[in-house]
Amino acid sequence: MTAGALIVALLAAIGSAIAAAVHGPVAVIGWLAAIVALAIAFACASAAKALHDPDDLTEARHDRGPSEPFPQDVLDRRTAIGGMWGFAVAALTILGIIPLVALARRPARGGTAWFRGARLVTEAGDPVRAGDLTVGSIATVFPEGHIGAPESATLLLRLESDALRVTPDRAGWAPQGNVAYSKICTHAGCPVAIYRQASYELYCPCHQSVFDVLDEARPVSGPATRPLPQLALDVDADGYLVAQGDYTEPVGPDSWWRTI
Amino acid sequence: MIVRRTANFLDERLGTNAGLRFLLTKIYPDHWSFYLGEFALYTFVLLVVTGIWLTFVYVATPSGAFPSVVALSRDAPIGYFIRQVHHWSAVTFVAAILLHMARIFFTAAFRKPRELNWVIGVTMLVLASLTGFTGYSLPNDVLSGTGLRIATSVMLSVPFVGGWAADVFNGGRYPGPLLLSHLYTFHVYFLPITIGVLLSLHLAMVVYQKHTQFVTDPKHVVGRRFWPDYALRTLAAFACTVAAIFALAASVEINPIEEYGPYHDWIVPNPAAPDWYAAFLDGALRLGPAVEVRIAGHPIPAIFWPGVILPLIAFTLVVSWPWIDAFFSRDRVKHDVLSLPSSAPWRTGAGTALIFAGFVLTMAASDDQQAIVLHVPIVDLVTFYRVLFPFGSVAAGCLAALIALEIARRRALRASERERVVVLRRNADGGFDEEEPQPA
Repeated sequence: MTAGALIVALLAAIGSAIAAAVHGPVAVIGWLAAIVALAIAFACASAAKALHDPDDLTEARHDRGPSEPFPQDVLDRRTAIGGMWGFAVAALTILGIIPLVALARRPARGGTAWFRGARLVTEAGDPVRAGDLTVGSIATVFPEGHIGAPESATLLLRLESDALRVTPDRAGWAPQGNVAYSKICTHAGCPVAIYRQASYELYCPCHQSVFDVLDEARPVSGPATRPLPQLALDVDADGYLVAQGDYTEPVGPDSWWRTI
Repeated sequence: MIVRRTANFLDERLGTNAGLRFLLTKIYPDHWSFYLGEFALYTFVLLVVTGIWLTFVYVATPSGAFPSVVALSRDAPIGYFIRQVHHWSAVTFVAAILLHMARIFFTAAFRKPRELNWVIGVTMLVLASLTGFTGYSLPNDVLSGTGLRIATSVMLSVPFVGGWAADVFNGGRYPGPLLLSHLYTFHVYFLPITIGVLLSLHLAMVVYQKHTQFVTDPKHVVGRRFWPDYALRTLAAFACTVAAIFALAASVEINPIEEYGPYHDWIVPNPAAPDWYAAFLDGALRLGPAVEVRIAGHPIPAIFWPGVILPLIAFTLVVSWPWIDAFFSRDRVKHDVLSLPSSAPWRTGAGTALIFAGFVLTMAASDDQQAIVLHVPIVDLVTFYRVLFPFGSVAAGCLAALIALEIARRRALRASERERVVVLRRNADGGFDEEEPQPA
């Protein structure tokens, strides 16, 4: 039995190697390899059955501790300065802090790549006119010349001009119903990639935060606590959509040092 | 013949035969549940072997990583197969550790004098999950990249030091240029080597302290010798593990990164869910309250509580369990004989509650898919899981404790029946009458 299984293992291994060498299907390579292992398992099991002790054996357990206690004076013998050795530990710890802090290269945060007058361009690099998007549609846009820049991905939506609830401090940010929000979720940083046109909601597929696009992208359900920052838009002389400047609040998830 | 010659060669120079005899004739108790830890060990062996192979083809740069992994699959089917074996081994590794841990927990093998090995084991579980997560992130595909983005956000949420830690981890602002090379260092050197060292310590402790057993003989190990019994069985277990993983890798595709595509921070797959062992954290992030606390103007983001505090509490609870257990059971003596799950209903209940809590969070990580299949609004599912997390866990724990109590009661009943002595007396019809024995 054992010998038979081992011969099967050898043959299957040769088969698997040949299949791999001629770029055969993965299923053939893999299953032949599995048969090798299975045949060896079978050989081991049948050998175990043939060789095993018929009866249980016993072995004495030894108590591993406590062993001999130290003589009193070895551990209690006072060194010259005793607990002051703690200063040595503290000193070495302090030495270690600087290398750790030095690992951080840059300040943790900065703005995005958006700037005043930056044209909104699609992933393919096409600039967008104020009338290009049909009402109800959506596009991912970047600042011209900075396609794919970190944390700069922005959602451009075209809404009915009168549908948007505009607060006075954001008047004129959405020319002809074109409104732009950061695509980076304020919860955990995933792209807020899904637009539910019927309910005017942006939906994040990672943790299901939902933002109301008519109401300055405030979170209406899910774990997000902060609205998606809005990018102030304008139309340049040639009719293209441009940014009025960078986002006025930080995009992406919050951290301790974010004070806005 | 070769074995004998090698043994003699070493013995003449190093005197190794005494040690060899000790190892080969050592007695180990036997039970099917003792093999769970070995499955973990053998998947780790498989991970190291396939992992070393993969380091020869992987490129740890932001632009090179994804193409290098895709090329691996495209150039030869064996490359694809090895990556599949590696990934299947990784998810099995964590599962095997958890099963092994459950066995240790419910049979109370963690009790004095084995608390240290429990701590080492729990540490290895955390390291295994981290190794899994960093490895899963290395191909820089859009699914794992999204996971990294979330991990970075969780790091950022830690008060005071979070921004610095995320900055160090990413090598700059997310997605930093050094992120992949840092992941590579952790996945290929730091984490697996630490696991290897702890694993050696873990096994050495088992040999030195001797294995626990169900046989109620506290003075002796009762079982079979390492050679030939146990060695052949464990080799069979090794080969079975390898066969199962090979068969899985050959038939069920895992992590098809070619379908996901390369990572960009403005693209996300839908649905987006991590490997199974990280899903409980993703579920916790989905269930966490949408509340941002501010301390002196500094925000503590909502993800801090489910993303950092919850796993810290869980880890502390689990790692200190031997001492919690000793405190509540007022049991501070040494044990080499295992306890049956039914003998300690409160422990069985606590363990079940913890597993159920993890299960609820894991299920919550696919609530968006359940909402679609069940035609239920997702907010209702979130509410359901939020209620189920505390109350369902307590209920599951109580139920398990009650079942354990009932099993213990029946066992006691059977034992008392065994002790009852009756006298059977043949009657005139040829049947038997039962008589209570007369007290002497």
